[in-house]
Amino acid sequence: MDPVFRWIESSALSVWTRESTSLLAYPAILSAHAIGMALAVGVNAAIALRLLGAAPGIQEAEMRRYAGVAWIGFAVNAVSGMLLLIAYPTKAMTNPIFYVKLSFVAVGLSVFVAVNKRLEQWRSTAQTWIGIALLVSWGGAIVAGRLLAYTYRRLMAG
Amino acid sequence: MWLVSIFASVKPIARLMHTAWGWPVAESLHFIGLSLLIGTVGLFDLRLLGVGRRIPIAAMHQLIPWGLAGFSINAVSGIAFLLAEPDQYVYNPSFHAKVLFIAAAGLNALTFYLTVYRKVAANGAPAEAPPAAKAMAAASLSLWIGVIIAGRLLTFYRPFPCQPPEPGFLATCIPGFHANWK
Repeated sequence: MDPVFRWIESSALSVWTRESTSLLAYPAILSAHAIGMALAVGVNAAIALRLLGAAPGIQEAEMRRYAGVAWIGFAVNAVSGMLLLIAYPTKAMTNPIFYVKLSFVAVGLSVFVAVNKRLEQWRSTAQTWIGIALLVSWGGAIVAGRLLAYTYRRLMAG
Repeated sequence: MWLVSIFASVKPIARLMHTAWGWPVAESLHFIGLSLLIGTVGLFDLRLLGVGRRIPIAAMHQLIPWGLAGFSINAVSGIAFLLAEPDQYVYNPSFHAKVLFIAAAGLNALTFYLTVYRKVAANGAPAEAPPAAKAMAAASLSLWIGVIIAGRLLTFYRPFPCQPPEPGFLATCIPGFHANWK
């Protein structure tokens, strides 16, 4: 994979993201990734809390009104995450925890999509487990994401 | 600065934070707490601004205690960072901005509860919040996003250039970045 990593690392976009001293480069991308996380995980956490019995005044199906906010967060993080990956492909892709994070995100996203599609069909025990699944997958994604800064073996291939 | 020496004198927290797991665990909690805060306080703000109008404002407000829980997690983990590496924060302009934004968000929330809250969250209150409540909701959202940005920028305004590749928490330094960062 090293030739691929080196090719990405030498691209103009990778160099700019990694080395530009502009606040609009790496700092802005990291900030966007944190804001996107807050929106996406925040909405998922609110849905999970509701499914687990919090805020009983809110009709569960009405939580769908905020799904759009989560999708904005997902979109922001897909783009910002891709830019972070282009900046340091070796750092992420040689770290097993990166794949753990992606798996948590994939599970969290699937559960979120399922919740939006057919919330009403579930019994309350199922809702409890769905709420727990949302909290575990998004909490896991956050922890794995944070660990990426501490666990990488190689920074760059070049 | 006297603040730094006071913070630095709290040795047990610093020792705990400098173990292999101290910093990553506290950071993970800090990100989980912030998601909880935005997912509850932020959604309540959006509700006041008119998103999800069919949900009574009072019902949406039932999420707020979870936002307070998120804030508490972040106050505790944030103070742990501060006590462990005081000079990385006390002299950091991004940290000053972050504290100011948090204080402003707090004042904004206090104003909300002292003024429009009772009317807005009463039983049978209209679905549409008054303009004053909307203004405070918009301020709250902007200020918390400002807090996140200032928090994320802390790394780039560290008073001392960090020397990658240092082990542990300084691994968050972005190599090659600080060399030309002015």
